[in-house]
Amino acid sequence: MKKKISLIVLTTALTMTMLSACMGNNESANGTTTQPESGNGSAEVKTLRFATWDTGDALKIEQDIAKKFEANHPGTKVQVEAYADGFDQKLAAGFGAANPPDVMYMWDFPTYHQSLQPLNSYADGDKDLNKDDFYSGLFNYATIDENLYGIPAGFTTRVVYYNKKMFDDAKIPYPKDGWTWDDFQSISKQLTDKAKKQYGFGVRADNDTYDLQGFVWSNGGSYISDDGKTINGFMNSNETADTIQMFGDMVKNGSAVLAGGKGQQSGEDIFKGGKIAMWESGIWPLESFRQAGIDVGTVEMPAFPGKPVKGVVAESALSIAKDSENKDLAWEFIKYYVSNEAIKMRVADLPVRESVVKELKKDQDPLYKPYYTMLERSDNTPAFLLNSKWNEVNRQLSAAVEAVVHGSNAQDVLNQAVKESERYLK
Amino acid sequence: MNHLLNQIYNRLLSGSYRSIRTKLLFCFLIVTIIPLLSLGALSYYQSAKVINSQFGKYGENAVAQLEQQTSSYLNRMNQTTETIYSYLLDPARVDLGDQVPTTYKDIMAKNDFEALLKALKSDRTIGIYIITRSGYYYGENNLDVSKLSLIPAWQAMQNSYSGKHWLGFYPQNHGMNDTITNGISMLGLAVPVNSPYGALQGSKILIEENAEDLLHMFQLFENDTKAHLQIDDPQGRVIYETAAAFHSKESDIVWNKTIAVNGWSIEARLPATSFYHSSGIIRSNTIIVAIASCLLAFVLAYLFSSRFTARIRRLKDAMQKVSFGKLHTRTLVESKDELSSLDTSFNSMVSGIQSLIGEVERSERLKKDAELKAFHYQINPHLLFNTLNSIQWKARLQGAEDIRQMLYHLTMVLEGNLDISHELIPIERELRMIEHFLKIQEIRYGAMFEYKLECDEQLKRYLIPRMTLQPLFENIFFHGFEDGKGVIHLTVRESGNHLLLTLSDNGAGIPAEKLRLLLLPNMTKRKGRGGLGVQNADQKFKLHFGLQYGLTVQSIQGEGTTIIIEWPKKEENLNGNNQDN
Repeated sequence: MKKKISLIVLTTALTMTMLSACMGNNESANGTTTQPESGNGSAEVKTLRFATWDTGDALKIEQDIAKKFEANHPGTKVQVEAYADGFDQKLAAGFGAANPPDVMYMWDFPTYHQSLQPLNSYADGDKDLNKDDFYSGLFNYATIDENLYGIPAGFTTRVVYYNKKMFDDAKIPYPKDGWTWDDFQSISKQLTDKAKKQYGFGVRADNDTYDLQGFVWSNGGSYISDDGKTINGFMNSNETADTIQMFGDMVKNGSAVLAGGKGQQSGEDIFKGGKIAMWESGIWPLESFRQAGIDVGTVEMPAFPGKPVKGVVAESALSIAKDSENKDLAWEFIKYYVSNEAIKMRVADLPVRESVVKELKKDQDPLYKPYYTMLERSDNTPAFLLNSKWNEVNRQLSAAVEAVVHGSNAQDVLNQAVKESERYLK
Repeated sequence: MNHLLNQIYNRLLSGSYRSIRTKLLFCFLIVTIIPLLSLGALSYYQSAKVINSQFGKYGENAVAQLEQQTSSYLNRMNQTTETIYSYLLDPARVDLGDQVPTTYKDIMAKNDFEALLKALKSDRTIGIYIITRSGYYYGENNLDVSKLSLIPAWQAMQNSYSGKHWLGFYPQNHGMNDTITNGISMLGLAVPVNSPYGALQGSKILIEENAEDLLHMFQLFENDTKAHLQIDDPQGRVIYETAAAFHSKESDIVWNKTIAVNGWSIEARLPATSFYHSSGIIRSNTIIVAIASCLLAFVLAYLFSSRFTARIRRLKDAMQKVSFGKLHTRTLVESKDELSSLDTSFNSMVSGIQSLIGEVERSERLKKDAELKAFHYQINPHLLFNTLNSIQWKARLQGAEDIRQMLYHLTMVLEGNLDISHELIPIERELRMIEHFLKIQEIRYGAMFEYKLECDEQLKRYLIPRMTLQPLFENIFFHGFEDGKGVIHLTVRESGNHLLLTLSDNGAGIPAEKLRLLLLPNMTKRKGRGGLGVQNADQKFKLHFGLQYGLTVQSIQGEGTTIIIEWPKKEENLNGNNQDN
């Protein structure tokens, strides 16, 4: 009898344990297994926020640079924040909330310089930076009232790209430095074949007025007076109006096509498609043109008869936010970003250091030479550096330019734009 | 395993203890399995209930969350369209036209409008466009109006100028640079502008949001719950459906939610089998455990019962051996339980039987010896009688008449004594023998005593045990009378169907203490003579006729003794034999 009881006890106990074991299993299967937080070392890791407007390949390069910097600086994490199209909005929001990124791409110093850290004390005499190695003049764009707010990271001047095959097919010689806008217009006319939907040139439906400044300057005009106080008589001067009217006319007479507007392909895409022979831009699309298999040539901008060709530099710099808590680390990052090593990685930008250009012999390369010639011709000061209210004025100017390429009379619309803009300058 | 089962099966069914072992096994199994199964069933039902209700709540919450998320998308899109709509209703916007703006004023208006559209964009917004009747549109320059018909629901609303058109999910494939296949999933809302006031009448506001996160959430939900998710708009158009094929059934578990802003109904259907999957796992686990425990119980029960029945079988084998006569058989006594005491009793019983049988054997042998002896002794009386007759004859020849007389009577008495062929003889014969006995006494003592006999002739044929009276007469002469002097009175009467014999004398009588012991059976072993005859006679009557019959002795010391014998009438059979032999 004793045995029987012990048997029951045994089996019951067994069952209980097995049942409870299988209940336990279910519980662990259903319950979310919380793992211990593994971030106890995070107190020692400094995070550096880096904001960029780039996307795609350029962004990837920047992330690689950030990773290399992390490798060289243990205990550092660089958080690359790609703001893309929303760059201005997000940056402004960050400054407003006193929570900006530590390091950011910057070009519009007149607007943002109050939120940026002056870098003179960092840059002057820093042997690693070697300010003298930078192309002269690049620092000017980042300087406001003697204060340096950014270190140039990349720049480009604007050149004319041409499709060698289309020139060959039309048996037209390639354009050369020193050509004029008349040459340009006649070549454009010759290369236009509407039946094939092929045009000599593409005009942006949506122009950035900044980019057009080079042409205006070349024609002896300007958007604003040298002291930055007057636009009447400058923005609507004959020279300025004629320059812009020229593009409107080319669209009107059919030797150029509007690109990048509503329902239109971008000029780069059309160029890549072999449907426009010439395109005017900075360095950015060069790589994609080559990848698209276009035999592309570059040439400096045409001249207006009897007037010197002028260029405009589009520059990007790196700045440190005034509210940043890691300014020294940020400075280290900027220095690395403009070091020879990092410059060589950033193929989408023209090198800012003369030593790198010389080393890579970029200025010898016929494809790159025009950028540097144009850099030499870029000695005018862009409008936005002359007046801090330029952004407001620019809205009217942009609308006026857009109206012109859509068929309006340049002189009329510019007059109107000046009229509406003058109140911002008072 | 099979082999083992077979073995168990065979062992269970073979052998004659099958029933006890099976019963034992059965009892064990019932005792273990019932609590086991009830425990298992209880735990299964409890846990299944808990899990089912938890899973049900989880599903409900998950669907509610989907509804929330989707709602937040839709609400924001809805608000955006309303903002745009109210912007357009402002009379100041009359410059916005259907055609490509070419004048400075129109372009300014367009730029202002597009700045608003840009400001309305959020992280998730892919595009906000206002498509005019001419095909010109406001918004970022990346839309290819001609490809809009790729949106499945776009064509359906082409000619509609009212209401809100939720376009559902569709891939991004109508941008300038989009190919047909590469698009991410988007959620679209189109609202025709149909107010009689304001700008851009007949245009359509199109808002597209990145729906990848939302769809990812749907997929997470589907993966988590294995449910079939379907979103329908109020017109019954399927907005979203889980890719996997599904057949809805009545038994499906259904979670329902309706999105307030546009009446989309979210329905998650879970086949009952999937819903009860986890409780099914518990059930199968419980069953496995129960089966395992049952097997264990079975094995343990089998082992125990076989051990138990093995002992019974051993005992039974031992019994069988004993029944075949092997009395030296003993069983092994293990432990101290009922079975072992059974073993012990069996052992002592067998040893008892063994000694008993030995005794019987011995007594049987003795009996045979006695029979042999008796056979020998039977021969002797003839020799005795022949010798006595020879002496008698010799005495007559020599003229010793008194000796011859004595020998004659002695012979007669001995003949009566030694004739053992009948145990019951007629009273007449017994009386005759008494006569001979008395003759001898007369010759011995002379005519000193007086003998009176009262007996009817018809009573003399009834039977009386042999040699009953003679010892009583001997007693009178040896103990009662002195030198054979006295009176003996023998009376035989009948009393109903009984006979009553009274033998009285006037001898010395029997002392009271001796009288008391006279008829007690254990007195047979006492030493010396006297009383033995009384008791023998009493025993004979009791033996032949029953315990209620026998002798009664009355005696007064110095005055004489009276012995009364009572026994039933019994006549000699016709064939001359009596039954008692």
